[in-house]
Amino acid sequence: MKYTTFNQVNNNPLTEPMFFGNPVNVARYDQQKHQIFEKLIEKQISFFWRPEEVDVSKDRVDFQKLSDSEKHIFISNLKYQTLLDSIQGRSPNIAFLPIISIPELETWVETWSFFETIHSRSYTHILRNLFGDPSSIFNDIVENAEIKKRAADISQYYDDLIFATQLWQTLGEGTHLVNGVNHTISMRELKKKLYLCMNSVNALEAIRFYVSFACTFAFAERELMEGNSKIIRLIARDENLHLTSTQHILNLWAKGKDDPEMAEIAEECKEQATQIFLNAVEQEKQWAEFLFQHGSMIGLNKEILCQYVEFIANHRMSAIGLGQPFDVKSNPLPWMNNYLSSDNVQVAPQESEISSYLVGQIDSEVNADDFGDFDL
Amino acid sequence: MSKNNDSFMVTIKDHKTVEHSAPRTLLETIELHQIEIQYHCREGFCGACRSKLIKGDVEYTTDPLAYIDDEEILPCCCIPTTNIEIELAK
Repeated sequence: MKYTTFNQVNNNPLTEPMFFGNPVNVARYDQQKHQIFEKLIEKQISFFWRPEEVDVSKDRVDFQKLSDSEKHIFISNLKYQTLLDSIQGRSPNIAFLPIISIPELETWVETWSFFETIHSRSYTHILRNLFGDPSSIFNDIVENAEIKKRAADISQYYDDLIFATQLWQTLGEGTHLVNGVNHTISMRELKKKLYLCMNSVNALEAIRFYVSFACTFAFAERELMEGNSKIIRLIARDENLHLTSTQHILNLWAKGKDDPEMAEIAEECKEQATQIFLNAVEQEKQWAEFLFQHGSMIGLNKEILCQYVEFIANHRMSAIGLGQPFDVKSNPLPWMNNYLSSDNVQVAPQESEISSYLVGQIDSEVNADDFGDFDL
Repeated sequence: MSKNNDSFMVTIKDHKTVEHSAPRTLLETIELHQIEIQYHCREGFCGACRSKLIKGDVEYTTDPLAYIDDEEILPCCCIPTTNIEIELAK
């Protein structure tokens, strides 16, 4: 079906599926098929923050005191986080918006992506503070083999869905010869690609971010790189919300509360979905190995970090009905929870080094002249 | 709405029975008795504390945004309104 930016069919958005129904026409939020997305939009907007509000200047001094192995851990994680948010800042928009059919989900995806761009801007803010010219750090993201390996695995599901959607929207269902390669496009296959892509996004926000978060907060536990930690806490809070949204989408499908065909696909592709999570866990363990290759840091080593990945994976997988494949009973990094609690995120401006916040948005200056034409 | 002086018994499967009194959340009651429970946001949007409600009823103090199944509750943003029995996530 050809995409249109304003579908002139007078359809009822309350009976559309989340994806692959009619394209959205009127952006209305007075009624919702799935109220949860409207609530998530409001929550996300209430979280609005700007990286410049956090003063990271003390981190520059701290950074000089880190050992070479610690510098490697810190910078490698920032590179990886930059990669993840580079992907997340654009991909949900490009992959999901052309096939979404209800206004509240469309706006949720736009709001979600916008916050990912704030995260990307934060990494520039952090790196610009640490290095006069952060170009070499950014350039390495597209050269570093360890990071590229992950980038390929994450973007593959998005790219697959985007390409199939493009063929479907221009040529429709059927077998199409493009540049000498035959592609068979059917609605069932498109929906499968969407299902796998949504699982991959869920795994990204559920597991992939957490190895880097753990390292950041381990520095903060030693009162090092605290500006960076403050920013990452704000990012982690947003990511938790994004994770909730993809859990809702996956569960709405699986429980047959949206498109009944998606419930069948969820059942049929359960094995593949599980494998997406297990691969993410494996890759994160390899990442932990890469991080600690020159030595550990106080409070954290490869073994504990790998156990934490398994622990968090158990929680995330059981939330979407994929069971608990790992044998970890208790949280190996209990202090992580303090940093992930939103109570500890909001701070009064006078308590933290907020260098800029908006005051005097309204011109409040009143002169005697202003009363010139005033009669009693 | 429940009265402020209400207190109810909370039976936690594989642990013990503890007393809950307002204005604590169920999560705070569980923590008060040194029972290990997973949490992140403490505001009902992440789902980390998701637990199973076996018996009884709870009331939410904040509208939960995290996904919860029919028999599940989020201890971080609810309070019991009867004696309850719950099972924590493993």
